[in-house]
Parts: sequence; C-alpha cells; structure tokens
Amino acid sequence: MSIFSYEFMQRALISALVVGLCAPAVGVFLVQKRLALIGDGLGHIALTGVAIGFLTGGSPMWTTLATTVVASIAMELLRSHSKTSGDVALAMMFYGGIAGGVYLTGIASDKGVANLQQYLFGSLLTAGWDEVWTIAVGGAAVALLMLVLRPWMSAVATDEQYARVAGLPVAGLNLLLLMTTAVVVSVSMRAVGLLLVSALLVIPVVTVQQFTRSFRATMYGGMAAGFLIAGAGILASAVQDVPPGATIVLIGVACFVATAAVASLARGLRRTRRGHLPPEGEPLEVELPRTEASGGPQATPKG
Amino acid sequence: MPVIATRGATVSYGGRAVVRGVDLAVEPGEAVAVMGANGSGKSTLIKAVVGLVPLASGAIELFGVPQRRFRDWKRIGYVPQRTGAASGVPATAAEVVAQGRLGHRLLGLPQRRGDRDAVAQSLDEVGLADHAHCAVDTLSGGQQQRVLIARALATEPDVLIMDEPTVGVDAQTQAALAAVVADRIDAGCAVLLVTHELGPLTHRLDRAVVLADGRLVHDGAPPRPVGEHADPRHQHAHPHSNGESTDDLWGGK
Repeated sequence: MSIFSYEFMQRALISALVVGLCAPAVGVFLVQKRLALIGDGLGHIALTGVAIGFLTGGSPMWTTLATTVVASIAMELLRSHSKTSGDVALAMMFYGGIAGGVYLTGIASDKGVANLQQYLFGSLLTAGWDEVWTIAVGGAAVALLMLVLRPWMSAVATDEQYARVAGLPVAGLNLLLLMTTAVVVSVSMRAVGLLLVSALLVIPVVTVQQFTRSFRATMYGGMAAGFLIAGAGILASAVQDVPPGATIVLIGVACFVATAAVASLARGLRRTRRGHLPPEGEPLEVELPRTEASGGPQATPKG
Repeated sequence: MPVIATRGATVSYGGRAVVRGVDLAVEPGEAVAVMGANGSGKSTLIKAVVGLVPLASGAIELFGVPQRRFRDWKRIGYVPQRTGAASGVPATAAEVVAQGRLGHRLLGLPQRRGDRDAVAQSLDEVGLADHAHCAVDTLSGGQQQRVLIARALATEPDVLIMDEPTVGVDAQTQAALAAVVADRIDAGCAVLLVTHELGPLTHRLDRAVVLADGRLVHDGAPPRPVGEHADPRHQHAHPHSNGESTDDLWGGK
C-alpha cells in the first residue's frame, strides 16, 4: 500500500469514500421515485455550471453547485406545475446542459475544452485539501439529512398521493430531494466525473436491493456498498494507473451484474428447496363452469 | 358537525365535468358507501374530498373546516386504490404501515413507543402480524391491500376514506377486512367507502349514495345483498373468532 504514502492518493481515497458513502443515501429515494436518471440530468446541467466557473474565474465546484440547485428547483416547479412529463423535462436537461457547457466554454476559449474533460470524467488526483474538505462537509450534510428524514422521504417517494393526504410537506420534501441530489452531483464530479455521477447514486442501491427486504436495510446497505465500491475502485485504479472514476463505475456495474445473477439463482434455489408456493394471483373475475355440474368436457380435444 | 361535507362539489377533467354538484354529508361514526358504475365519478369524488383533485366549483369541508385550510390530516385514514405490484426499493409491511404514523410525528424525530404500538396493533388487526418484516412485493394482492388498510388504521383516524378497498381481493379476505372495518365503526370511526359491488361490509353500512354520470341519484338505505351473500349458509368469517388458522382464513393458501 505504499502508493497511499502519497498525499494526492490519500486525498483521492478520502473523497471517493465520502462520495461512495453519501451518494446512495440520496440515490435510494431517486431509485424509489423512478428518477434514477435525474442524477445524470443534473450532471449534464453541471457542465454548464463548470463552464460558468471558467467564464467568471470562480471555483467550478461552487458555480456548479449554484447552477444545479437552480436547475433542480426549476425542474421541480416544471414537474409539479405544468404538464411536462418527467422524461421530457429530463431530455431538456440533457440537451440544454451539454449545449450550455460547450457554448460557454467556447466563449471562455482561453481555458480550453481540455479543461472541461477533467470534470466530465473525473480527476480525483488533482483535488486539493480544501476541495476534499468541501466534499466531506457537503457529503456528510446530505447523508445526515437523508438518514434523519428517511421515513418521510420514503413515504413521499413511494406514494406521493398518499403522502399528501397524510399531510406531509410533499412539495418541500420533493424540492429537498432534488437539491440534495444537486449537492451530491457537484461534490462528486471530481470523483467520478459528471457523465458518471448517476452511477454512484444508483448502482449501490440497485445492487443491494436484490437481497434486502426493507427500505432501511436497502439504504444502509447501499451506503456500505457505495463505500466499498468507491474504495475498491481507487485501489484498482492506483495499481493499474487508470482513471479512478471509470474504474469505480466499472466495479459497480460488475457488482450489480454478479449480485443480480446470484440473487436470481438464490431465489430459484430457495423456491425449489422450501417448496414455497408463489404468491397467489388475482382472483378470477369470472365464474368458471363447475366441472361436476356441467358434466362434460366441452373444450377438451380428443385424440 | 359532519366529518365530511360537500356542497355542490363539481370536478372537471379538461372541461368535462366528471362530478356534478354533489351534496354529501358523513356524520361522525357513520358508514357511507359511494356506489356507481365504472366512470360514474365515485373515485373522483373521493379524490376531491381528500384534496387530490381540485374542485371546479362547490365546497368541501372536513371536520367543519374548509378543505383548503384543513391541516389536521392525521384524523383521516386514507386507503388509495392499489396500483399494481409494488415497485422499486423494497419495503417491509411494517415500514409501509409506519407511514400512517408520520402525521403524528414531528419531522425528523424518531418513532416513539406509541407509534410502534399502533403499527404492531394495526398489522395484527388485519392479520399480518407474522408478515410485518416481509417485503411488501412478496405478498399477495390481497395481503398488499390489507397492508394499505393497516396503514390507514395506524393513523388512528376519525374517518376512514377507502377507494375500492376490495378490488382484486378474494371473498374470504373481503369478509375479514369487513370485520376489521366493522370493529372501527363500532369504535366510533366514520367510514366513507367507494365500491362498485356489494360485499360483506354492506350490512354494516348506514347509508349508500349512488352516483350516475357524476350526479347523485340515490342517498339512503344501502342496497341489500343479493345472490351468494344473501345465502344464510354464507359465513362471514371473523378474524378474532379464530386465532389459530389465521393464515388460511386470510386466504394465505
């Protein structure tokens, strides 16, 4: 482990572990709301935020945070107050975000597109200590908020209509979820890059949910899985000298595929071994003719 | 003071009136069924009552308070129409039922003893105490419906509002659910129930209103059960009278 005597490797490891731990805490609600791609949408918007950073000379992380938070508020208002469907709004984010990023980078052409690339695909190794601190504080705040609000958030994510009748502050919680997603995207763009941000939000959650039965276990398990996947990704990338973001995501995808295979195998085994009956289906809405009463096989083919 | 009062309630979707000028009052402790054919507007009326669809005209009061200013939602236990299989992240039956207590809890504070007790008790009432830690999507359709009813019961409401709670539920489970709801009626809880068929709960209803084409065409005695349910040999199984084989009773096969 001599590579971790380098300070830049320590910084990379710490930021990746923090992001791996915190992203699934938000992602579990996104998966439940079927908004798994929203992280990617905000990631595209974040590109515009990075370009604004180039243009104004500000720190890209802060301009990204501001841009994605504004975009998430606009998204939520659009979603709740107009007839724009979720996927149309998402498509607009994808197109608008990329176009805005490229356009604004073009204006600030002295910084060059090469600079944009480190945000697209992540550049953990060049992060400074103050950036690591921002990631740690932002990630911890998000994770804490989601852990404390889990029952309310999951109620809104599962059944928004019921949550409204139960008197929960649905609009506020929806907005909070998108804003925390924006924070996660902004702080994790260094780790995995904007194009891969969604992976850390979603993969750990969908990996563990193959085995879990409760929402709580899925959330904690997802955070643990994210932590391990991010850690393993950093180790592997350091050993092989390849980009850490891509390595983390590839390990995550491999974990998901492996657990999905194992889970379906385990389900099959359990069913045959315990002789579990599958859950009963919906009752038939028709009355079947009684065989002893009707007294004849009307439809049985002979021969 | 009625628990639910609508005056001239009119709901329209895209300019077409689905509910037209419905006057309906549910008194405390009263059990009222809203009946009607598919598309008669009964579900829409219920959704308007709980504030999920806006009124085009008319007024709705809950516990004497105009619905727009009503904040005491924990007095209402709502059972929505079950929408297919549960999806996404798994959740246990106990977790879903615990949602019914959120209205009683302050945002961000942990469950208290009373919350846990209410969840356990309502799961027990619907006969799912043994399934508290099962993932909801591994339960059968009838069991999932019971989880939704348990969630409403856990709220300890003064009125239960149920949208077709017996759709897709086998006859045995329907009878058992009717017994659970009847217990709550006995305890003084009002019930507003949407249904399009006569079921085992019918004999406990105080009134039935019938909608046709969005208009109220009948408000009075509930229609009498006919056919199988009028058969004297037809048994309404009661879950508390038979503690041992609850699984079979509840249609667990």
